[in-house]
Amino acid sequence: MLSRLVLRAAPAALRSLPPPVAVGVLHTTRPLHTTQQSLAPLPPLPEKGGEVRYGLIPEEFFQFLYPKTGVTGPYMLGTGLLLYFLSKEIYVINHETVAAACILSVFIYGVKKYGSDVAAFADKLNEEKVAKALDVKNEAIKGLETAIEQEKKEQWRVEGRSYLFDAKRNNIAMLLETNYRERLLMVYNEVKKRLDYQVAMQNLKRQKEQDHMIQWVEKNVVQSITPQQVLAFLSLLYVLVYTNICCPVILARC
Amino acid sequence: MNLSFFDQFTSPCLLGIPLILISLLFPALLLPSPDNRWITNRLSTLQSWFLHLVTKQLMMPLNKKGHKWALILTSLMTFLLMINLLGLLPYTFTPTTQLSMNMALALPLWLATLLTGMRNQPSISLGHLLPEGTPTPLIPALILIETTSLLIRPLALGVRLTANLTAGHLLIQLISTASIALLPTIPTVSILTTTILLLLTLLEVAVAMIQAYVFVLLLSLYLQENI
Repeated sequence: MLSRLVLRAAPAALRSLPPPVAVGVLHTTRPLHTTQQSLAPLPPLPEKGGEVRYGLIPEEFFQFLYPKTGVTGPYMLGTGLLLYFLSKEIYVINHETVAAACILSVFIYGVKKYGSDVAAFADKLNEEKVAKALDVKNEAIKGLETAIEQEKKEQWRVEGRSYLFDAKRNNIAMLLETNYRERLLMVYNEVKKRLDYQVAMQNLKRQKEQDHMIQWVEKNVVQSITPQQVLAFLSLLYVLVYTNICCPVILARC
Repeated sequence: MNLSFFDQFTSPCLLGIPLILISLLFPALLLPSPDNRWITNRLSTLQSWFLHLVTKQLMMPLNKKGHKWALILTSLMTFLLMINLLGLLPYTFTPTTQLSMNMALALPLWLATLLTGMRNQPSISLGHLLPEGTPTPLIPALILIETTSLLIRPLALGVRLTANLTAGHLLIQLISTASIALLPTIPTVSILTTTILLLLTLLEVAVAMIQAYVFVLLLSLYLQENI
């Protein structure tokens, strides 16, 4: 029974640990199917790792010794320990020492020279990963914004619809008017043609009658001229010419 | 503690308890396990990037069936790399200097590739014993030579790794002993020797990485022929 109490209390107690430890420990201590499965969202990683001096000793050690021994405390401790080990031959200087010095110098040189580059490379890999995801998001946002703009444009076009219909209506009215006037003109022309025909007919008829009458009168006049009249006219003309009374006038007239 | 030159190659024991298992498993503890996150810390990112690179390089020449070997080859490469590099530190024991360990890695894996080839495509596998375009009179001799070369492969794999690492470690020991011994008498020569030791250390770092890569690369080559 007590174990059950401990098991129930364990998750709450373990949640108070620092987050990375808590996550790992919770994985192992979460009772099966009794608590709700919420390990998300994961707590964020800290920005920087723990502060370390000389690549080995955490800063907290120096802070721990500072109240009692000041700034030089840890260094005195280190030097003393080293000299103790050397003098008591707990650590013996042999060929491994030189080999150790060599490999450590190579390692420290490598870290100092290429450390920041490697860190930047790792950061770049992560940045690329995030950038890819952000790209997807931005593409989606851009696509949606373009869709919004196009939608707004369509709405503006819809507003202009009434003008379009008015124009179309006017157009059709004009077409109808034009058609009507054309047909009116056609009617007028046709009627005029008919009336012109009638007028021309009448004129022709009158002309024909006039011509016929002139011809008839001329024919009858010519027919009615007797030979005595011809002789009398000719003798008069002869007299007039030979007497020269109106010679030039007659000649001019002839 | 006074060390002889070969103390570094003895399998470590503490109060009668063999520590070989710890020395084999410890390097893996130094590698971060992949966290349940999308963006990990720098070390995990670099580790993922490196494993991705290695797996891609190893698996590119292999066909799809060969990709089943991805896990074992990549993990073998990481294992050997870590062991070799950590062995360069002072007072450490390098398991890959032991012939027994290297043969235990090389022989079963080589045999696995051979048996895969013999089982699935025996004629192609045996056909590798005769290079193309050999003149007819030479065929029997060449078959014998190729068979010998085939059977010597596991031995070569194991011994190559052992010899390279053992020789490197021994050389480091010898030259550092020389430089320490010369220090009281001729300091100049001692400094020269130390310079040589520095260069040798650089070489040993390179050799450690290259030997691990070559071991795995040759295994993947043998696999390519047979799968």
